[in-house]
Amino acid sequence: MSESTHLSSLREPLVAEQRSLHQLTEEICAPMERRPGGLWWAAFLLAFAALAMGVGMVAYQIKTGIGVWGLNKTVGWAFDITNFVFWVGIGHAGTLISAILFLFRQKWRTSINRAAEAMTLFAVTCAAIFPVIHMGRPWLAFWMLPYPNSRGSLWVNFRSPLLWDVFAISTYFTISAVFWYVGLVPDLATVRDRAKSKLRRLVFSVLSLGWNGSSRTWSRYETVYLLLAGLATPLVVSVHTIVSMDFATSVIPGWHATLFPPYFVAGAIFSGFAMVLTLMVITRKVFRLEHLITRRHLENMCKVIIVTGGIVGLAYGTEFFTAWYSGNLYERFAFANRAFGPYGWAYWVMVSCNVVAPQLFWFKRVRTTPAVIFLLSLAINVGMWFERFVIIVTSLHRDFLPSSWAMYTPTVIEVGTLIGTFGLFFTCFLLFARLLPALSIGEVKAVAAYAQSPVAQLAAASSGEKKPKSGRAAA
Amino acid sequence: MEKARSFALAEFVSPDRLLDAASRLRLEGHPDIDTHTPYPLRGTRAALLLAPSKVPVLALVGGAAGAATAYLFQWWTSAVDYPLNVGNRPPHAYPSFVPITFELMVLFAAFAIFFGMLALWRLPRPHHPAFELEQFRSASSDGFWVSVAEERRELAEKAAHRLRELGASHISVLEEEP
Repeated sequence: MSESTHLSSLREPLVAEQRSLHQLTEEICAPMERRPGGLWWAAFLLAFAALAMGVGMVAYQIKTGIGVWGLNKTVGWAFDITNFVFWVGIGHAGTLISAILFLFRQKWRTSINRAAEAMTLFAVTCAAIFPVIHMGRPWLAFWMLPYPNSRGSLWVNFRSPLLWDVFAISTYFTISAVFWYVGLVPDLATVRDRAKSKLRRLVFSVLSLGWNGSSRTWSRYETVYLLLAGLATPLVVSVHTIVSMDFATSVIPGWHATLFPPYFVAGAIFSGFAMVLTLMVITRKVFRLEHLITRRHLENMCKVIIVTGGIVGLAYGTEFFTAWYSGNLYERFAFANRAFGPYGWAYWVMVSCNVVAPQLFWFKRVRTTPAVIFLLSLAINVGMWFERFVIIVTSLHRDFLPSSWAMYTPTVIEVGTLIGTFGLFFTCFLLFARLLPALSIGEVKAVAAYAQSPVAQLAAASSGEKKPKSGRAAA
Repeated sequence: MEKARSFALAEFVSPDRLLDAASRLRLEGHPDIDTHTPYPLRGTRAALLLAPSKVPVLALVGGAAGAATAYLFQWWTSAVDYPLNVGNRPPHAYPSFVPITFELMVLFAAFAIFFGMLALWRLPRPHHPAFELEQFRSASSDGFWVSVAEERRELAEKAAHRLRELGASHISVLEEEP
């Protein structure tokens, strides 16, 4: 496992092997410039097939109506809103890595921020599909926007959290796209300068806006990046707060809780980091970037998971305590029913995946073994999907009137739509990894340059000759 | 369009020598010096005496405009133009207007930053004279370049001569197209 003793964890290099700047450019650009391998094609075809199936499911649902879903009068929100919250939550880790870790000067983010931001964009796209198709008549989606109309101008209801969501999600998507693009500009210029074919050079010349690495642009770039990070940080908190208010401002026992905003934000970061880990473990292996996305990166993300998983576990407990302590009959019933009612199995899947599984990351051996990290990250993804399902369905299916009590079972169409959004997500991600630099070339160089500076070399030399050879130890 | 300028361009092997040469040239009376590097270098601001960026002011103005627009629009539509009783909430329900006010503040600030940045950078600009030089492609990979802009070609050639003394390679003098 860890073969070397380092002077200090601060001196542990973020780029595990000595590389010249030219080598770094070559390595990061290589996946974009060589023909895709069999593994990439297999993954792409699988993702694309899932996407195609999802398109078919959504087309059928729009043509027929939302009666093809398993919803009923009592359970009016189920699979679709679960998926919506799930995907929005996944997106938040990207912003956390790119913005919040940047503000905290966590240099280890440099190897993973680009891919995590791309993940944010794709996840938010997947999320946005669900409320729109849930309308049943998605061609009227523009009714959510406040535009002057011939109905007197009847405006949208600004006092509804569902409308806040429209603004929050669209702002979030726009800001994430701007932040991502600003980060990409210098790297697009690198790709432009390496381009062999005329067409490729033209495309990347346009995209890179004529970037020439000038000191004036770099110095403003750093200011701009800092400001955008400062804006994105409260934004990401606000977005999931508003998502949680879709529930918390209602009077449904099980939803009506002031705890929801922090609980949802922590859960979003928790699930998002799990998804980043899932993707990074694969990406570093497939593109052979183990010396750039090192075990230290994986380990740090696992530590974030321990913290956020702890907050989520605490929230589960607090919810139960509050329900009991409130003395409210309906509240008490909602929570007893959640854990021991007909959907109790879903509750316990959630607890074992989100509270029990992450505790394994306390062991250093576990959080430095990519295969185990991969499996645990999948478990957390599943657990966090079930968390939203449990919150939404168990709170609704036992209404105030026992005559309204009902059960909810998803139909094939709903499951197919969920799989379809996974198809969309992975199709986009696989294309991204081939068409754009998946790591931030400029930022990795700045970190590598530090690693080659005299101070760091002195530290590396005194930590002995047996430097880790990056990612060779068996999983 | 300003008068066509001449540029002396040269490459250095290390960031330290680049910054050293850039600050020397600045002290020797070349006013318009720029460096072109694959990543931001510490100490560039000091070496070239760069002024702090104006982008934060733009962000503040954009954010204030966004917040004001959002709040006034929500108040006007909900309480003035078409007051509608929804769940008996007051028409001017100021706590309910906070989330969208915040979101639009962030949105407008980010747009102000992004477009302000492009304007200050004078980008998009696909035809910088340096792009005529084949070796300059390394500026986005592993080359540390300096450019000295001068009104007259003789001054640029003088700078090029000085750059040779300072140990630069790939030295050339280019002219901007009028």
